[in-house]
Amino acid sequence: MLLIITFLIYGGLELTPGDAVSYMVSPDVLANISPEKLVELRESLGLNDPFIVRYFNWLGGVLQGDFGYSLTSGVSISKIVFDRLGATLELSIAALLFSSIVGSVFGTLSALKRGSIFDHVVTIFGMVGVSIPRFFFALVSILIFSLTLNWLPAGGRIFPGYDSFWDRLPHLILPAIVLGSTMTAGVMRYARSSMLDALNKDYIKTARSKGIPEWRVNVVHGFRVALTPVVVLIGFRLPMLIGGSVVIEQVFQWPGIGKEFVSAVKGQNLPLIMMIAMFSVLAVLIASFLVDIFTALLDPRIKLD
Amino acid sequence: MNNDNTIISVDNLKTYFYTNERCNKAVNGVSFKIKKGRTLCVVGESGCGKTTLGKTILQLVKATAGEAIYDFEGEKKDLNQLSDKEMMKARKKLQIVFQDPHSSLNPAFTIFGSLQDPLKKFGVKSKAERKKIIGDLLEDVNLRREYMNRYPHEFSGGQRQRIGIARALSVEPELIVCDEAVSALDVSIQAQVLKLLQDLKDKRNLTYLFITHDLSVVEYISDRIAVMYLGKIVELADSDDLYQDTLHPYTEALLSAIPVADLDHKSDRIILKGNVPSPIDPPSGCPFHPRCPKEFAKCSKVIPELKKYIIDGREHYAACHLLDQK
Amino acid sequence: MAKHRKSKLDKKMDEIKRKEEAGLLGGESYNRAINKFKNNHLALLGLILFSLILLTSIFAPLISPYKPGTIDVLNRLKAPSLSHVFGTDQLGRDVFTRVLFGGRISILVGLGSALGAAFIGVLIGSYAGYKGSWIDKIFLRISEMFMSFPRMILVLMLVSILGQSLWNLIIIFILTGWGSVYRMVRSQMLSIREEEYVQALRAFGLSDFVIAYKHMLPNAIAPILVNITLSTAMFILQETSLSFLGLGVPLNIATWGNILNVAQDLNVLRENWWIWLPVGLIISIFVFSINFIGDGLRDSTDPSQQG
Repeated sequence: MLLIITFLIYGGLELTPGDAVSYMVSPDVLANISPEKLVELRESLGLNDPFIVRYFNWLGGVLQGDFGYSLTSGVSISKIVFDRLGATLELSIAALLFSSIVGSVFGTLSALKRGSIFDHVVTIFGMVGVSIPRFFFALVSILIFSLTLNWLPAGGRIFPGYDSFWDRLPHLILPAIVLGSTMTAGVMRYARSSMLDALNKDYIKTARSKGIPEWRVNVVHGFRVALTPVVVLIGFRLPMLIGGSVVIEQVFQWPGIGKEFVSAVKGQNLPLIMMIAMFSVLAVLIASFLVDIFTALLDPRIKLD
Repeated sequence: MNNDNTIISVDNLKTYFYTNERCNKAVNGVSFKIKKGRTLCVVGESGCGKTTLGKTILQLVKATAGEAIYDFEGEKKDLNQLSDKEMMKARKKLQIVFQDPHSSLNPAFTIFGSLQDPLKKFGVKSKAERKKIIGDLLEDVNLRREYMNRYPHEFSGGQRQRIGIARALSVEPELIVCDEAVSALDVSIQAQVLKLLQDLKDKRNLTYLFITHDLSVVEYISDRIAVMYLGKIVELADSDDLYQDTLHPYTEALLSAIPVADLDHKSDRIILKGNVPSPIDPPSGCPFHPRCPKEFAKCSKVIPELKKYIIDGREHYAACHLLDQK
Repeated sequence: MAKHRKSKLDKKMDEIKRKEEAGLLGGESYNRAINKFKNNHLALLGLILFSLILLTSIFAPLISPYKPGTIDVLNRLKAPSLSHVFGTDQLGRDVFTRVLFGGRISILVGLGSALGAAFIGVLIGSYAGYKGSWIDKIFLRISEMFMSFPRMILVLMLVSILGQSLWNLIIIFILTGWGSVYRMVRSQMLSIREEEYVQALRAFGLSDFVIAYKHMLPNAIAPILVNITLSTAMFILQETSLSFLGLGVPLNIATWGNILNVAQDLNVLRENWWIWLPVGLIISIFVFSINFIGDGLRDSTDPSQQG
């Protein structure tokens, strides 16, 4: 599966207009090369070989860490990606934490107060959250919290190492909340329904009849069980995170891979586009693999297949 | 033997299902003949392969080995080997009535809609003619003509079964496989439908292969009975002979379980120990031996063959080592 | 004694016969689904809002005296007033008109893509789901491949390869969307395949195409409708996001997202709220209403919730 995708990615790469050398070799080298040397170079890179051979050459290079060079900036793509990775990870993890915590708390509370006003309001809030375009939510929150109230910065990110975590936090808050907002609704729904299922199970009723105080029953027994699917689904939320971060990073000018991707698309920078796409697929596949493992670990009833 | 009105002759039919290195021997070497105009009842518990047998004969499931030779107006052909064109003609002659009245009719279509497609396929071109034919069919099963414009959910289970029978009759078949056709109905409705089936058989000179697990039904409708266990036939005889001279221990147990509506009748019910084993992993030797109250050493080693015995001048087949000792 | 028992049984049979004649012994009808939907107040509210916005977009030229492209630099960046309900943008174009006309395109993209994806998904899924075998395996693999990419990345990748245009966008959306419909139709087919009426059709020798498309598909429609509804919402959100970034529909055509494109400038954000805030709200309300309708449809056609 992954192989087929790499094949297609390479196909897309081939569509790059111009000479393939321009993104296979560092621009520093190309700047000073003579025409004869260029011909030699192309030969040695195998650019005159058939498609299949070139594909495997490329694949080999990728596995060794050679991702080519950006068309627009000439910087090596691996450098671009790895420099930005940290920023995106920071944002994603923050969003994940936010959505998981808020979602499960509100979801389980809704389940406990089932049918009440609280429950209905929360459910509607959830639906609203899914309907609002994320970037619009971002714009509104920037307007309110940055431009009007001046509580939080409007974007950007202080590079780690320059200031303490607490200095960096204000920059992180808005993007993380906005990124996590869409997922929160889903998490809430899931937490609510799995909590309801758990509450109806016999062992909960047994715990109650044993005289354990209500709150303990709910929190200790019910919550823990309700949490399992939420944790497991983290793997499923990863693709949403990657996709969402593309837009959010752009709006908040967050220097991550998503913002880089947008610039690449705007600049028709195919090598960079293809590489980032490939990484994202890799991330998704790893994530689903991890989901499978975690599911098997947490729920002994499910066998690893 | 081939000229005496035999409409279908099944010879060593096998249907195996292969999944993940396991082999489910659903039908494991079944042989019998049915004469025109008669009803053969295939009886057995769930999982013995009788439904698969019916589907295999109708080519809804591919046979793995063996023959099913059908008499096409004098010409005898093996159903398993027909070309596509021949199969198309064969489909007219062989039909099936199913068990579950709730899924046997397409909920999205009216009765007319459901029944007209086969007619269209077999050449009834005008809509008016189809309407007439379907109307007649509905009346044959004791329903009103106007019902053809209704939807399946507007009918009761018994009515839906009758519509299913009408559907089977629409192409004028010769042999009808009734796969547990009354098992899902209330007892009072069962009687209704069974009587209808008998009447239709007489009127239209049909032949039935009637699959069921319910022996009280068998008593009413069968001419000949085949008892199946784990993919094999263990006893085969005309109905009266089977009831009078039961040869196989399994048949004995089944018959003893039929409820008798007589307060003075003491139950001599033979209760079999254990459960029906899985056809994926059948016992060695005789498939019945682990549960048989009369089993002895040979039973677990050698598979008994279905042998012919002549009792009172009539043929009676059974597969049991006990009989060799008579 | 026997005679008494016999007449009781007779009476029971007569009663059953009478009920049968009157068609009273049937189960549910699908009027039930419609009734259930009618009782779902949120869904009805959604339907009203949706229709409102849809109709104003369709009748845009009748509602607004302006044209969406009319430039009037003298009147640029004016706040809402009686003559310009939503004010004007930096080129002096009437924002309200642009919103109305933009709605046409955005809704076209959303609905069109959803329908297109559904069409392809149903076309392939019905036959492949019924038949199984290698056709099914191939398409399953293909759809898996598409699904390995995060959606946004896949869409943008295709935009950069195919180029930016209105129709390209719809095509790209359909390419990314058919997979989920395919899987859904396929799983429906897998379960319907076991129904007895399907076996009866096979016993008559009817062709696979007729069985799959004519007889089985009508029973699988309900979840497909739900999917189309919810997909429309998703595609509208996607189009808006892409156009906002300038990577969706080309900027010369007015769409809801394109109108919002200017809001990337923080100045505009703060000073000219009328350009972007109302549009965003309308998008949210529209998507919101579609989600309600979709949820309502799902609840009313869910067989596990009936009774």
